[in-house]
Amino acid sequence: MTTITVNGVRRDVQAPADTPLLYVLRNDLELSGPQFGCGLAQCGSCSILVDGKEVRSCVTPLSAAVGKEVTTLEGLPARWAKQHGLSQADAEKTLHPIQEAWIEEQTPLCGFCQNGMMIKATELLESNPTPTVAQIKEAFTTSGPSAHLCRCGSYTAIIQAVQRAGQAMAKAR
Amino acid sequence: MTTPNRKTVNVFGATLTRRQLIAGGGALLVGFGASTKSAKAAGPKNSLDATLPGSWIEIHPNNTILIRTGKSDFGQGTTFTAYKQIVAEELSARFESITTVVMGDTDRTPDGSGAFDFLGRGTPNIRKAAAYTYQALLELAAKRLNVPKSQVSAMDGVVSGGGKSMTYGELVRGQQLKLTIPVSGDLTSLIGLTVTGSPPMKAVGEYTVIGKSFPNAVITSKVAAREKWATDVRLPNMLHARMVHPKTLGSKLVSAGEPDKTRFPNAQVIVKGNLVGVVAPTEWEAIRAAQQVASATKWTDWNGLPSNANLFKSLRDDSDWKSTRVSKSDKTRGEIAPALAQAAKKFSATYELPFMKHAPIGPTMALADTRPDGTVYIYTHNQNPQALRGEIAQMLGTSTDNIVVRSFAGPGHYGRSNGGNAGAEDEAVILSKAVGKPVRVQWMRQEDFQWSTQSPAAFSDVAIGLDAKGKMVAYRVDHYMPAMQDDRPVGAVLAGLPTMAAPNEKAEFIGSTVNDIADPWVYDGVATLAERGHGTYQIGQKASPLAIGLRDHSMRTPGQFQQNFPRELAISEAAALANADAIQFRIDHATEDRAIAVLKAVRDASGWETHPSPRANRAATGGAQVRGRGVSMMFRSGTYWACVCDIAVTPSTGAIAVEKYTIAVDPGIVVNPMQLKRQVEGGAVMGISHALLEEATFDESHITASDWRTYPILKMADIPEIRVVLLNRLEVGAYGGGSEAANALAAPAIAAALFDATGKILRRLPLKPEYVQAALKA
Repeated sequence: MTTITVNGVRRDVQAPADTPLLYVLRNDLELSGPQFGCGLAQCGSCSILVDGKEVRSCVTPLSAAVGKEVTTLEGLPARWAKQHGLSQADAEKTLHPIQEAWIEEQTPLCGFCQNGMMIKATELLESNPTPTVAQIKEAFTTSGPSAHLCRCGSYTAIIQAVQRAGQAMAKAR
Repeated sequence: MTTPNRKTVNVFGATLTRRQLIAGGGALLVGFGASTKSAKAAGPKNSLDATLPGSWIEIHPNNTILIRTGKSDFGQGTTFTAYKQIVAEELSARFESITTVVMGDTDRTPDGSGAFDFLGRGTPNIRKAAAYTYQALLELAAKRLNVPKSQVSAMDGVVSGGGKSMTYGELVRGQQLKLTIPVSGDLTSLIGLTVTGSPPMKAVGEYTVIGKSFPNAVITSKVAAREKWATDVRLPNMLHARMVHPKTLGSKLVSAGEPDKTRFPNAQVIVKGNLVGVVAPTEWEAIRAAQQVASATKWTDWNGLPSNANLFKSLRDDSDWKSTRVSKSDKTRGEIAPALAQAAKKFSATYELPFMKHAPIGPTMALADTRPDGTVYIYTHNQNPQALRGEIAQMLGTSTDNIVVRSFAGPGHYGRSNGGNAGAEDEAVILSKAVGKPVRVQWMRQEDFQWSTQSPAAFSDVAIGLDAKGKMVAYRVDHYMPAMQDDRPVGAVLAGLPTMAAPNEKAEFIGSTVNDIADPWVYDGVATLAERGHGTYQIGQKASPLAIGLRDHSMRTPGQFQQNFPRELAISEAAALANADAIQFRIDHATEDRAIAVLKAVRDASGWETHPSPRANRAATGGAQVRGRGVSMMFRSGTYWACVCDIAVTPSTGAIAVEKYTIAVDPGIVVNPMQLKRQVEGGAVMGISHALLEEATFDESHITASDWRTYPILKMADIPEIRVVLLNRLEVGAYGGGSEAANALAAPAIAAALFDATGKILRRLPLKPEYVQAALKA
């Protein structure tokens, strides 16, 4: 048995330690944010945060998460609430500003890749809330194991949502 | 239950019978028209009766409204925005009162059809259903308010007349109107059922809901991680499966490997004909066991494909273009040979497009549950669930009554499953039947590239003649493309189970090898026109011992993509031959007001500088970027489109950067500007990706594209500034389509821009650096 911390909660998992985290999160913990896109760390659909850094859960074994903080799309509101000292009640009522911006900009088309896009945006905006378009493009294209791919072509809407979220996050600091 | 005052009237082709239910019937929670339960009872098992209004729209006593459509969402958002707006408009109700959209479940939606043409051609079924229902509401209100129907008015879900008013909820409480909606067609066909008749529609000038940017509620659900995706569906005792597909597109099974029981104690191999699958209780065990089984499985060799390097020569010289009827466009007119012979200036050229992959961002998956009573439930994400239902019934030799397909969110398919299957669905059913448990089949990334269908390769021969003044007087095109719609479920083919026939010359419509003219001609100023389409069998299909080969399927803007690229690039070349500006040349040959207006709109919005191509300071050599711009246009599904691409090319490397993409769109009435804009932006990016990067390569045995490195798509860093101009033309009185076309417009505009920048015409896609570099050197 392996114990990991996911979205602030300690969870016991029976899966073998070499199981990619993606299958543990989806099948054992029934989280639906990370998606199976390629299994090769080439697309970003399965992205999660491990200690605040975006990683590809499809190639990260369960054992690599031991002793670390795993955050999935489901955990973004609580992550924001914790960072800003919001009460539990408030935290449950709110979404992360990144999620709010994604809704206001009507960013997703099919939406299958957007988990990874919002996770990547979280990593980026937590270190730089006012990125330029060039910095956003760099973050989503060359900064990680691979570019974050959107087959529906929502990149323009993603850039607009990242900028909107960054403004909201900067204001809340 | 019914009162003696039952009465039947004719409502614009529909029949309407009023029944008053027992007083206090609100407790029965009947929907308006018919409850789901009675609708079900009236039709075949596991189906809704499409003639009953309650199968389409339920108005509840609490003033909420539910709508049902067979059309599934694949990222267009239409069912969650435009359809709600259209229904709210026709019902004179508020957008927000439509709280539920039931979509794509074969037992819970009435009409079938695929995730295409939500708007566009014809009137959406749901609009007519709403219009009939509205008439029924007015009839009922006249009775309840005790005034003539002509004195009843409705607004925001409230009917008024004779100084009284009531909400729709109050109006329908305890009432049932048996309205019979006229429908025709075949539920499990590509286009499903069609609502017929001519109910009165709301006048465009009275619109209050259409034209506004209402948000898509499913976006909220997906962003907040509350959506249940197809990938999230789990059933008790479910097994995970991975497939072991044949070594090549023509390999037959010699012997299947066995799982190593010490490493994979719970894994089991299922073999049916040439179909091999591995099931296990956990996904990780299924994946690893399937890998091990694959390495121990033996297949025959096959090398019957021409290979990518020989594609266009082989396609032209080795394909059977004679057995299939040659199609002609409706606008073909005049004697083309003398017109070309007499032309003052002329040119002819060949244009080539490769195979491309739909390449959904998530590979195909499905969960099937074959139950002991013979019913089969399939939980998946499919563009045409009713067609899938028919295909599974055929495969199992059972009635469609026994098949239920439930639809969930998933990755965009771009046409791949609009004929009913994408790959995993039938395989899940076969495996589930074999083990007697629910089985979830998930293809891996490599399989999704190598075992799915592709958008067919094509080539076209174009000849254009100009008179002495540079006016286009003759246009001839011969389009060549293998069959585009192979809807055979691949697992059923591998397992040797019944399917429809492979594409052939005798089939009508679906599965036909006929290459129809899909790109409507928009330059009616040209006197003599010959457009012909030549079709053939899929490459390798007849040679493959599996009867598989390179299977094809329609992809976003199908057929029209393959035909518009040659046409629009050739028109730009003709403009150059005439020493004319490429937009002005188009305007001079178009006659339709909307076509001209969309060209002018894109010219103005893009900052187009009028000049003939190539530009004076062109350069085909050197390491410095040179710039150019090109245009393209299209009419599709009721919408006029024109696009301008501004590019920079580096001749020494052949690298093309699209710097600006401007597109003007006239769909007639814009239903939802924000949603349309996002669709168009997405199409723009996909189109640039098609133009610059995409080619499904193959060798003599199989497709060699296997992942995102061997099949790259456009990345965020490479997108241009995108400007979308929406022309809202209420006077058109119809809603044109908005989810297609944009992806097809980029390629001819980029190729024309390359010509503008360098003076060289490249007539083959994709415009990869090595091809561009070599062509500019030549």
